[in-house]
Amino acid sequence: MRVLIANRGEIAVRVARTCRRLGLPTVAIHTDLDADAPHVRACDEAARVSSYLDVDEVVRQARRHGCWAVHPGYGFLSERSAFATALEEAGIVLVGPSAAVMEQMGRKDAAREIAIAAGVPVVPTGADAPYPVLVKAAAGGGGKGMRVVRSEGEMAEAVAAAKREALSAFGDDTMLVEKYVEHGRHIEVQVLGDTHGTVLHLHERDCSTQRRHQKVLEEAPAPTIDAEARDRITRAAVDLAAHVGYVNAGTVEFLLDAETGEFYFLEMNTRLQVEHPVTEATTRIRGQELDLVELQLRVAAGEPLGLTQDDVRLEGHAIEARVYAEDSFGGFLPQAGTASIVRWPAGRAGTGTVRVDHALEPGQVVSTAYDPMLGKVVAHGPDRESARRALVEALDATAILGLTTNAGFLRALVASDEFRDATIDTAWLDTAQVEAPDADVPRVLVAWVSAMLTSFERGHAFQSDGFRLGAPPAPTLVELDREVLVDRAAGTVDGVPFRQLGAADHVLEAVVDGVTVRAVVNVQPGPAGAHEVVWRGQRFAFTPPDRLAGTAVVGDGTITAPMPGTVLDVRVAVDDVVEEGQVLGTMEAMKMELSLKAPFAGTVTAVDVTTGAQVPLGAPLFVVAPQ
Amino acid sequence: MSDLVADLRERLAAARLGGSEAARAKHTGRGKLLVRDRVDRLLDPGSPFLELSALAATDMYGGAVASAGIVTGIGRVEGREVVVVANDATVKGGTYYPMTVKKHLRAQAVAAENRLPCLYLVDSGGAFLPMQDEVFPDREHFGRIFFNQANLSARGIPQIASVMGSCTAGGAYVPAMSDETVIVREQGTIFLGGPPLVKAATGEVVSAEDLGGGDVHARRSGVVDHLADDDAHALAIVRGIVDTLPVAPPAPWEVREVEEPALDPATLHDVVPTDTRTPYDVREVIRRVVDGSRFSEFKALYAETLVTGFAHVWGHPVGIVANNGILFGESARKGAHFIELCNQRGIPLVFLQNITGFMVGREYENAGIARDGAKLVTAVACSVVPKFTVVIGGSFGAGNYGMCGRAYDPRFLWMWPNARVSVMGGEQAASVLATVNPNLTTDEEVEAFKAPIREQYESQGSPYYSTARLWDDGVIDPVDTRRVLGMGLAAAAHAPVPAPSYGIFRM
Repeated sequence: MRVLIANRGEIAVRVARTCRRLGLPTVAIHTDLDADAPHVRACDEAARVSSYLDVDEVVRQARRHGCWAVHPGYGFLSERSAFATALEEAGIVLVGPSAAVMEQMGRKDAAREIAIAAGVPVVPTGADAPYPVLVKAAAGGGGKGMRVVRSEGEMAEAVAAAKREALSAFGDDTMLVEKYVEHGRHIEVQVLGDTHGTVLHLHERDCSTQRRHQKVLEEAPAPTIDAEARDRITRAAVDLAAHVGYVNAGTVEFLLDAETGEFYFLEMNTRLQVEHPVTEATTRIRGQELDLVELQLRVAAGEPLGLTQDDVRLEGHAIEARVYAEDSFGGFLPQAGTASIVRWPAGRAGTGTVRVDHALEPGQVVSTAYDPMLGKVVAHGPDRESARRALVEALDATAILGLTTNAGFLRALVASDEFRDATIDTAWLDTAQVEAPDADVPRVLVAWVSAMLTSFERGHAFQSDGFRLGAPPAPTLVELDREVLVDRAAGTVDGVPFRQLGAADHVLEAVVDGVTVRAVVNVQPGPAGAHEVVWRGQRFAFTPPDRLAGTAVVGDGTITAPMPGTVLDVRVAVDDVVEEGQVLGTMEAMKMELSLKAPFAGTVTAVDVTTGAQVPLGAPLFVVAPQ
Repeated sequence: MSDLVADLRERLAAARLGGSEAARAKHTGRGKLLVRDRVDRLLDPGSPFLELSALAATDMYGGAVASAGIVTGIGRVEGREVVVVANDATVKGGTYYPMTVKKHLRAQAVAAENRLPCLYLVDSGGAFLPMQDEVFPDREHFGRIFFNQANLSARGIPQIASVMGSCTAGGAYVPAMSDETVIVREQGTIFLGGPPLVKAATGEVVSAEDLGGGDVHARRSGVVDHLADDDAHALAIVRGIVDTLPVAPPAPWEVREVEEPALDPATLHDVVPTDTRTPYDVREVIRRVVDGSRFSEFKALYAETLVTGFAHVWGHPVGIVANNGILFGESARKGAHFIELCNQRGIPLVFLQNITGFMVGREYENAGIARDGAKLVTAVACSVVPKFTVVIGGSFGAGNYGMCGRAYDPRFLWMWPNARVSVMGGEQAASVLATVNPNLTTDEEVEAFKAPIREQYESQGSPYYSTARLWDDGVIDPVDTRRVLGMGLAAAAHAPVPAPSYGIFRM
């Protein structure tokens, strides 16, 4: 009864957890990069593949390891009908719908026709749709190959860019055009069908807090709809699933127009969703907790669900926050690096409970090769507000050092009045500014720890205790992004009263200017050592000035890599004359494509990259000399 | 004692302010750091600083030259102990008074004896011209600074200078004579003759910056090696230079794990009577200074007025010689024997001075106390191990010699605030002078004659009179005795100990 988990990261770990509980042996697949990844250790057996996207190889490994089923997780091959077909041919069960249904629902144009046939409202499209419109890849998902177009003039450029993305991401550049709802809420319904004709729903989720169509926060149940709307929307989802004879877990996504209350079918995801834990947290089946993966496996094994819709009950409220390796307050740039300290919250928080699904451990290298999601923090409470407060508390206790994550941004977002009031629509984050947390308190904390570590150098007469003849010990000057004076004798840091309550295992608790704070601090010796803190989820890394560094001769004409990533193309050569703003080349990192533009008109004097090159953050790529 | 220590701390706090408030404001207003801030930044974060003679020039020159206008001491830079010599430009423009010169030379002597690199933070207008006869011409005057620099460098003791202000005339040789030199742009200047002198001599009108500014010296003259943007930058460069120096050799003796004294050093204030005439057991002091309060005594039962024995201070082995009463012939012989032991074994010596003198009188003179005293003085004078002296009470007459007074080259000599130093007690001196004066007839005349002598001895015997004139390396809180000895020993551990040899002991 082996199950091959055709995925990596937190979802592979999460699927393995349920398999283990059910007594099903598991087989992990991994690339060379992931040979020692947490998901590999979470499984009983491991199989090397050259790519998580290689259908033949994954099927071959499933067969070689004698697996009866493959759980695809989300992403990668989870919605590839070719994969489902290959498994069917190999006589291996895919934990998901049939290849035929996957093929139908996977194509947005086909899915739309099915929705219309099932009597589910759809978004006006094509020539019927008034501006603004959304241009999106027919085979798309995950925000790739999508553009909002507000006027006819922008259309050609937007379609070209979206097609390019779609082609590289999905190998298919078929485009759809549809009405774009300005103030939309993203409502999706979890459906579940068995091979015996039962289709039911497990309520809805609201994933309106998005940035560029990437979900940031998800919750269940939807906070802004009433019982009648909930009934209509969940019934529409069940109707659609039943219409296609849907088997296993799926999600029907709707766009709710916040102004009119109208909702439109967007697409159906024929797999487990990232945000399924909020449904698990808020759903009780005959009073029992829900494990969606377990139900998926039972359905895949041909068992009947043995349930009716009345057996499914809502319990409380849950909110999930996706923790990404990204610098949310620095242009949302993707981050890579080695996680030095990783602290996830656990257990209770306030009146709620916290669940974390993750696959990030200390010492792990986070590269730009795979999805930047590091984990998910889910808080559940008796009502939305208690869940929200529990999530704030949980994010306060989330500390990832070594690389910057969006945990501080999530924390600020969850704590915001807008999220509290559930007024965040799907476009809000594309324009709203979430205020970055202030560096003052974090700086004080790092300075204190730095001075404290200095004072640990003891055991000889010149020990670092700041001894002065006939006077109190000299305060310690700590060089961070600026100088901070730590006067341990006087109990001040940077002139602010400071009292340490506790310091152990990198956790510092202190009263700073009368306020009790708790943070995870990592200070390592030497000028190149870490001077980092995570406070309220946000990482602050203070870099002392290198006073001895020579003045770098990187003038305004040097174009450096704004993020670590891959160079897609190089469009200029040395001695080319370029206009201001002319694209010199493009690069891609994770899910973003960036144009590298000439800062002013001039002549290219250096091209230090080639197409396909992997470049680190800040690498000089081009040099343009002004005219 | 607590009152005396409070007074000491007040004096130190006042001296550490440096120049007047106006002078300090003017200094910092130019973007310059105050001298002690410079030192703090130069040193490693959290480094202790063994400041030398912070109260130099106290009550001299009209009381206006705090710390003699120069900060000297030993601290840590990049993990190495170094000697710092830093001018205080807020005190008379950092010019050299006689005591400034003496203090500068003393710091160089400390560097020489202990083989410690010298870091000079220069901000000085040069010699204080009105007192040129006391600072310029003699052997131990201004020129000796550069003589020392050359010879220290020759001995492999690094000489590093950072020019952070004026560096005029003779002072220009401090950076020029250094191994490696930094200057602060648009702040430091180096020239043999400043713009006014140039104008007077040749008529040439030139700005200080064009004459000898940082840019000139870094790019053209080659007088400096590094150009810094500001004080902080300059100090970072100096630290970088120190980082390139070879590491110190291992200590010439075994350094053990440090152990705190079992008896709290803070209680020294209570166990030591302030009046030097009140007797007490010096072991009470020793137990509050040495590691684990463990003192293994030598000849405990013999000549009890001189206590000798072995202990450790901050892990360093020491032989302690401490007065516990007046010196007799046998005390001196015991001391000489013990000092020979320490030299034979390469163990540093610590003298705890509280001595009114050698015993006088026919019996003792006839028995040859001078002969025995000479043995002790010979042993002390010829000692090759590092010596440290702390004057914890009186220091009178030949006792001062036998107990390693300043003339016997202890590596460091510190005074407690209750200490007294003079050739003899004020009353004794007045009586001696009165006895040899034939003009005194009445008691009133004798008293009138004696009073000013007593007063003179009282004032000149004060530790502050001593420390003002560099007869010591500083007045310390008794509680800090253990720490300063530890730092002194750590500094001394940089220099090798030669083989012992002595002059003729008079037998």
